[in-house]
Amino acid sequence: MIGAIARRIGWSIVVVWFVVTATFAMITAIPADPVRAMLGPHASPDTVATVRAYYCLDRGFVGQYGCFVAHLAHGELGKSARSDRAVTAIIADRIWPTAQLALAAVLLQLAIGVPLGALAAARRGRWPDRAAGLVGLIGQSAPTFVIATVLLYVAAFELGWFPIGGYGDGVLDRLHHLVLPAATLATVGVAYYARVLRGELCDALDQDYVRTARAKGLSERRVLVRHALRNALGPLVTLVGLDLGVLLGGAVVTEYIFAWPGLGREIVEAIVGKDTQLIVGVVLVSAIAIVLANLLADVVCVWLDPRLRE
Amino acid sequence: MRLALALCAACGVPDVAPPLPAAGHAAPVEGGTLRFSTKDQVRTLDPSVEYDEVSAYPVHAIFDTLVDYAPGSTRIAPRLAERWTISPDGTTYTFELRPGLVYSDGSALVAGDVAYSLSRARTLPSSPFGPFLANVAEITAPSARELVIRLARPDASFLDVMAMSFTAPQRADHVAAAGDQIRREPLGAGPFVLARWDEGRVLVLAKNPRYWDAARVHLDALELHENVPRDIQFLMFQRGELDTAERLSAPDYLRVIAQPAWRPYVLTRATMNVYGVRMNVRQKPFDDRRVRQALNYALDKAHVIKLLQGAAVPSHGILPPGVFGRDDALPPYPHDPARARALLAEAGYPHGFDVELVTTSDDEADRLGQSLQYDLAQVGVRVRITEMAFASYVTAIGSPTGPAFALGTWQGDYPDPTSFLDAQFHSRMITEQNSNNDCFYANPELDALLDAARGEGDPDKRAAMYHRAERILYDDAPWIWSYHQLMTEVVQPYVRGYAPHPIWTRDYSSAWLDRSAPRSGGDSPVDRGGAP
Repeated sequence: MIGAIARRIGWSIVVVWFVVTATFAMITAIPADPVRAMLGPHASPDTVATVRAYYCLDRGFVGQYGCFVAHLAHGELGKSARSDRAVTAIIADRIWPTAQLALAAVLLQLAIGVPLGALAAARRGRWPDRAAGLVGLIGQSAPTFVIATVLLYVAAFELGWFPIGGYGDGVLDRLHHLVLPAATLATVGVAYYARVLRGELCDALDQDYVRTARAKGLSERRVLVRHALRNALGPLVTLVGLDLGVLLGGAVVTEYIFAWPGLGREIVEAIVGKDTQLIVGVVLVSAIAIVLANLLADVVCVWLDPRLRE
Repeated sequence: MRLALALCAACGVPDVAPPLPAAGHAAPVEGGTLRFSTKDQVRTLDPSVEYDEVSAYPVHAIFDTLVDYAPGSTRIAPRLAERWTISPDGTTYTFELRPGLVYSDGSALVAGDVAYSLSRARTLPSSPFGPFLANVAEITAPSARELVIRLARPDASFLDVMAMSFTAPQRADHVAAAGDQIRREPLGAGPFVLARWDEGRVLVLAKNPRYWDAARVHLDALELHENVPRDIQFLMFQRGELDTAERLSAPDYLRVIAQPAWRPYVLTRATMNVYGVRMNVRQKPFDDRRVRQALNYALDKAHVIKLLQGAAVPSHGILPPGVFGRDDALPPYPHDPARARALLAEAGYPHGFDVELVTTSDDEADRLGQSLQYDLAQVGVRVRITEMAFASYVTAIGSPTGPAFALGTWQGDYPDPTSFLDAQFHSRMITEQNSNNDCFYANPELDALLDAARGEGDPDKRAAMYHRAERILYDDAPWIWSYHQLMTEVVQPYVRGYAPHPIWTRDYSSAWLDRSAPRSGGDSPVDRGGAP
């Protein structure tokens, strides 16, 4: 068991390193100059050259990569060429808003998606199943920007129930600001989770052990929750792991529309401005988040299913 | 049911009048917080590094310079300097500072601090401002209130350079003590001080009680909300959560401008920009002047301006209205497709040609691209549009072998022709990489004219030289001269004492809020229709 986890962690480090190096190679291959973009066309060639050297951008791939590794060895990720600010400081600022949004969205997905999926499976083929299917179809088909805009316009602007974007101060105000962006992200997830869980539960409910449980005289509710659900949760846990990892990299559209100060916004601006150090820093953090979340999901799966422990 | 109602409200009749009227005071009301937002975020508050539009708003509010532009004008006016003299040969500038100047922390401000800021801009590797001081031979501060700057050659635009924020006095010991944190620990002598900055979210400026010209400041505070998209900005403005909104998206702008009751609160101003298409005059077919002129005749500027909701004026050259030396009598190229076709035929392209237009993603630039595509097709020139990320676009057009036909935009640093003509069209600015002169246009006559005009002390003679320079560029047409975009901003009716500034655009330092009961400190959002 411990050996397996150690091996997983070892592989994870290789994956993260590979992702970061590949990103670095791609960015340095793009013929664009972040310093030029930052200083604008007014700056003289001398100034551009000086500033470029300052940010290590005057060298080729190998030189820049060396700079990056040297920074990393000191626990730093270099400086953003656009704001002259340490990349670690920018990420530290942005990761917490993104993490709050990601957690809220995943919790909301589970809180609505799991009961919805279970209900659909329990009432297979009847109207609750069809209703859940329809809700799921709509939720999965509507693009994020449509959901976000409609929620914003109706719930925030017309009805005034929620603030129009922003981050909020203090716990209650923050939660108030969090509702709409989290709901936007969760809409797709709720539909997807409900569908996946319904499918798994339907499979599980056809299994012999469920028939045995029913034959023992257990209530249908107990059969569903204690026996079938536990076995059907595996794929859902994997999904949660993937979602959490992806969301921790920043939900670009949602963060933009709701003016949520997360990583997603930062990475878009970094890419447009070709802010190499910042892009690589955010990619590094996202890769680590995805790998960790997957690792966590695997551990939970093993805990849920003793057969995986061998 | 409720949802249906809410959606119906959206498609109903728009509000007739602004919901938050002014209280009707004639004299400025003291106090209150003015709230505004920007699409992007503030990058730094260090004036030696700050070089973007959004960071300029707080930096200009925190830092005063020796000279500045008068309100609503491009005329230089005294600020920290009470007066200045220029030696007859035009090379020595002597500034006399006001007595008793202090920074916002109460420490004394001396002439040597300006000298320090200038030398810092020259030596700091991340500062883009060194080249603006290339002509400065010597800076001395003979006394605490006297600063003498000697130039190597006379330069009529030097006072404009001294109005740029990077010249604002900074205290050397403060800069040293702040170290890396100087970007968020500004110490200036301007009308406001930094009160709070949650980076990427909100930046709050409070009135500087020690400001030398405190009588012109009425607000208690300014609140800048960062990273607010345009559409959200307008929703917040409508709900009374913002006091001003700028650069509205087309539907929002049309909605406001269509209502007579709102019209007085829609402010427009020509700023220091120009838009067009820049051609690489070394590459075919743009090496032929007749082709370039033909494309200028082909563009229907009235159409582009209509697409921009009228928030632009047609251009005859690079100098925007309000800039010294602009020949306002020179009319823009007329829309004349027949003439364009004749010129193309004369140049050997009777059937036109195919060309790729390289642009960068930008709402306004998109309109120009589409309009151009249609207009040029009428004279046989088939345009294919390629959009690039800004960093790639800037790098591509700065190369002599890069795209020949690309969106051209220019934002002058100050309202003097040197910031436009010399930077873009002097052959000295041609380099093999990252060329500032990205048309690769070289004309010895223009070079000589620009060099002479820069040092000319007589304004009338100088203006005549620039009129001639404009005429040369009009005829040679290295750009398709298109338009100067106007800045549009809508303000709540209770926002008074404010007009967008041609240089600083959103300078709220003398604004006041005409509300019946002046509020102090952090305003709570006003309910719709809640004000009397």
